Amino acid sequence: MSAIATRLTACFQTVFPTLPEAQIASASQASVAAWDSTASILLVNVIEDEFGFEMDFDRLADLDTFERVHDYVVEQVGAR
Amino acid sequence: MKISEALKVLQSAPRGGEPFEAALVCGFTPLHLETLLGARLQQRLSGRRIVIAKGLFGDTAGTLESLRGARPHAAALVLEWQDLDPRLGFRGAGAWSPAAVADIVTSATRMLDRIGAAVEQLDPGVPIACCLPTLPLPPLFHVPGWQAPEARLLLDRELNGFALRVVRRPGATLADASRLAQDSPPGSRFDLKSELSSGLPYTLPHADAVAATLALLLAPPEPKKGLVTDLDDTLWHGLVGEIGPENVAWDLDSHHSLHGLYQKLLASFADEGVLIAVASKNDARTAAGALARPDILLPPGKIYPLEVHWNPKSGSVGRILQAWNIGAGSVVFVDDSPMELAEVEAAHPGIECALFPKNDPAACHALLRRLRDWFGKPRIAGEDALRLESIRQGAAFREVESGSAAEAFLRLADATMTIDYGASQLDPRTLELVNKTNQFNLNGARYTEGDWRRRLADPNAILAAVNYQDKFGPLGKIAVLAGLVRGDEIHVDVWVMSCRAFSRRIEHRCLLSLFERHDAREIVFDFRASPKNGPLQEFFESLTGSRASGPLRLTRTQFEEKRPVLYHNVIVTDSTP
Repeated sequence: MSAIATRLTACFQTVFPTLPEAQIASASQASVAAWDSTASILLVNVIEDEFGFEMDFDRLADLDTFERVHDYVVEQVGAR
Repeated sequence: MKISEALKVLQSAPRGGEPFEAALVCGFTPLHLETLLGARLQQRLSGRRIVIAKGLFGDTAGTLESLRGARPHAAALVLEWQDLDPRLGFRGAGAWSPAAVADIVTSATRMLDRIGAAVEQLDPGVPIACCLPTLPLPPLFHVPGWQAPEARLLLDRELNGFALRVVRRPGATLADASRLAQDSPPGSRFDLKSELSSGLPYTLPHADAVAATLALLLAPPEPKKGLVTDLDDTLWHGLVGEIGPENVAWDLDSHHSLHGLYQKLLASFADEGVLIAVASKNDARTAAGALARPDILLPPGKIYPLEVHWNPKSGSVGRILQAWNIGAGSVVFVDDSPMELAEVEAAHPGIECALFPKNDPAACHALLRRLRDWFGKPRIAGEDALRLESIRQGAAFREVESGSAAEAFLRLADATMTIDYGASQLDPRTLELVNKTNQFNLNGARYTEGDWRRRLADPNAILAAVNYQDKFGPLGKIAVLAGLVRGDEIHVDVWVMSCRAFSRRIEHRCLLSLFERHDAREIVFDFRASPKNGPLQEFFESLTGSRASGPLRLTRTQFEEKRPVLYHNVIVTDSTP
């Protein structure tokens, strides 16, 4: 697991404490009942704190799986 | 506090902790405010599990009205301008035209009246903390932004009227706007992007400042009880032993009024029932000369005891704590010497030590504010005014008691106990005593106002509040005992007595009164031994013959066999309304 994936996993654990770590990499809004719009905004905030960049709210609707969030974070971190 | 920290705090809540249900009433999407309020409350009520319930978006008044008849442990009302009229917000499509302004003021006035009525109709047992609008109004008025528009002044007037109406409801408190402005500068509160995209108008730091303030209002810290102050370069400017009592200074003319402000604050504390003592390395007679000056702002009559000599201050503070009979955790020590502070802090863990910054007005102002925060209390009770005098009397009591036959002394003390089995449940002093007493405390349980009212609503609940006075003077309300009656058994789970009332057999009289009133065969105590409640452990040991660490039973026969002779005159009242 990459360093970014590890840090992102920790962010998911903070927002979804009952989600087993093994299921985080495959997590999606469809598979995690607690991942609603409120949790999405909490997740954005926790990721912003962890990685130090501001996420684009307009992209929020597309960031509905761990994998997509991971790719977005890699893109943002790489662009800095 | 960051969101990730807040989530971790919430996740740290004890799994089996008793829920603390707080209703968050606001018209916007609470999002982070909900998370942060939960976390801030969780920090203040660490044994509980915080549960936040929220209402409907855009319907503050309706949410409050829906709480009528509900019994959350607490409610937090967070108003913003758009709650008064949607045209005062940024999300509505209503016109900002000059023609609309008068109507906006009228509708806001009506809405405030509706919200005020809803607050008044909440169950009286539900404490509510309110925060008035904190965000800038939109630019809807015709005047430039640096000019106050008349309509704004009218809105402020209506808000002030609303605020007064709310704070007059028992159990309601209001966030202080100027303090919030220091914690969260007005220019950095509003997040238009978040408001438009998610409906939360607050920046994260502002949401946290509002949450922290509401949590302090709903679960306030216990006020400190006593302040020990140094003299030279703290209570006054200069070394009295070197320049003489007439030349130490604290006034504006001498440019040393920081010390005068400090004296004024301490005098105010003393009037509010805070104990003030002096620990100073000085010649006692010289220091007394300065304290006796007619222009002093903290008269010596408000100070007890005075420890003025050349011995270490840690010893002085130890004797002061003993005279006051309170723990170091309830006391603040102020001195201009970091070394003295360190010495006292090392000897008395838990004491708050504060440096008097004699040459730094800004730091001094910060200290005065910090002292107010430590000693501030929501209300001043009659007992507060009695505290210093009763401690002085207590010292006289102990002196007489130790110098003569204790039995004869108690017989001649002319003691009267008034035991009220009724309405004292509505007296804030009763709960205050329960929550701040450590040494004679059955189990150390603390209660919010909501918890307290809820438990007393049980038809089998009993409550006894005890007032005491003797020839040495009144002690005021000094003991509280509460529990449930079950047949010929009484289950007591709250029993506290002020340390000022020790050695008078008041505890024996309380139990005798309880046995007699309910014709009880046995009392079951929900006792838990703690490092602090040694006096109660000893009391039980004297009756049962063994040291208990947990719940215990005491039969009336056991009690009658072991209790000493009691000399009090007893007046039993029941002031249930």
